[in-house]
Amino acid sequence: MKKKTIGFYLKIYGKILSQDLKSKMSYRADFIISTIGMIFTNISGFISFWILFKNFPSIMGWTYNEMLFLYGFSLIALTPVQCLFDNNWNLRMHVYSGDFIKYCFRPINLFFYYMSEVFDIKGLGQLAFGIGTLIYSWNRIGIHTTPLVILKTVIFLITASLFMIAIMNLAASTCFRIINSGYIMVMSSRFRDYAKYPISIFSPVFRFIFTFIIPIAFIAYYPGLVVLRPDEVPLLSWLSPLIGCIFFYISYKVWMKGATSYNGTGS
Amino acid sequence: MNVKKHLTLTRAGIIESLQFRLSSLVIIAGNFIYLIIVYYLWKAIYASVDTESVNGMTFSDTLIYLVLATSLFGFMEMYLVWQMGRDIQSGKIILDISKPMKYMPFMFWSLSGSVVMSFIMTFIPTFVAVYFLTNGAIHLGINILFFLISVVFAIIINFSIDFFIGTVCLYTESIWGINIMKEVIVLLLSGATIPIAFFPEPLKTIVLYLPFQSIYNVPLTILTKSEMPVEEVFKMMLTQVFWAAAAMLISSLFWKKSLKVITVNGG
Repeated sequence: MKKKTIGFYLKIYGKILSQDLKSKMSYRADFIISTIGMIFTNISGFISFWILFKNFPSIMGWTYNEMLFLYGFSLIALTPVQCLFDNNWNLRMHVYSGDFIKYCFRPINLFFYYMSEVFDIKGLGQLAFGIGTLIYSWNRIGIHTTPLVILKTVIFLITASLFMIAIMNLAASTCFRIINSGYIMVMSSRFRDYAKYPISIFSPVFRFIFTFIIPIAFIAYYPGLVVLRPDEVPLLSWLSPLIGCIFFYISYKVWMKGATSYNGTGS
Repeated sequence: MNVKKHLTLTRAGIIESLQFRLSSLVIIAGNFIYLIIVYYLWKAIYASVDTESVNGMTFSDTLIYLVLATSLFGFMEMYLVWQMGRDIQSGKIILDISKPMKYMPFMFWSLSGSVVMSFIMTFIPTFVAVYFLTNGAIHLGINILFFLISVVFAIIINFSIDFFIGTVCLYTESIWGINIMKEVIVLLLSGATIPIAFFPEPLKTIVLYLPFQSIYNVPLTILTKSEMPVEEVFKMMLTQVFWAAAAMLISSLFWKKSLKVITVNGG
């Protein structure tokens, strides 16, 4: 068989995407309500943030604008997992009912095909909200905007996304072994709410845990530091793109291993 | 009214939730991580101000309030909207409607079992953990009794709101969007994310006139502010009774009206 190129996959992705959008559009009311729901979530997150800083001007040397920066950063970084990898949420249902076997028969990468099936448009609202927050705090802090800084921001945003995607892949792949492991997904996705806080507020033990065991510090804090506080960037921040790629690769392998050992339910 | 009939449903719910022991363990672990994060976050926040209490709440008050709010959420959230929405879409709801018992009490008593279970499995351990973490800052006295009574009203209000939203699903065919909107509004305006004491005026006054604060703010205030005069406690509980009656009445009327429009495909 000929080796499939990236162009080939992109073309397929486009085709699947347009089909998915068409089917979503037939449930227009649901789409509109879900989008409003997503906007509500973001606004409420913002309001709690605002109320907090009305009472407390800063948290351990982190000002309102800096925290807002991390918040916006994490929102943008969480968009890919929301938009492109949302089908992870349905994995346990597909595995449980036996539907999953249909994905195994396609002559393309299983992981790619499975994830490409669903594109969650709601995430785009979050992206817009995140970009708005980031730009606002960016101007308020007065970060010097050069092409290099923007390049850095983009690279480290991608890095941050990789970590969340990898966490969700690992959480979803548990359902190949444990029946109905939805609660693991729910718990892992709750971590994203904590990602926006600077890791420096924790004691050393938990700093270690949130860096190396449950790597939520990589979703906003370490990558964000590169832009936010360029004078005091720890080594881990510079290494994070590499660690992110490795972590993502591991999660991909674990997911695929689970999928290939899947026997179906005999239906 | 036959109480035994209702308690049978409660028992069935308890047995059902005992089937998912692993999930309770993971939820307890998740709550524990949450507890750590909230502890350090608010410790850092309070370390940034010179005064001991902010808006009449000390560090341990806030900690008790927020952690118990989360575990209250854990056992009050019955996923009723999800269940009703799914049953409406699949048509299964017709089986429950045609039972020789009114649908709303049937749902309430069926879900009461899992509420009892999660009260024992998650609320009590969390309560004990918080008690020791704050060196016994929770006053153990008559306020515990008031708190428990107040929680029962809170459950009724929360259930009625959920039931109302679930009924809306009859019209919209959207579950996720409706549910997330409800959850966001309830959690923010009930003071579950940030204690209402921190809200700036006039937001605070507005929120106190809404039913949502009866769900989290009232029971938790009764529990943490043990020095509050008894008249004050009764006044708060009266508001709860009012909202519980109003919410129940509105929900059941709305349901009765909506039953006429119900269309179930393929039933």
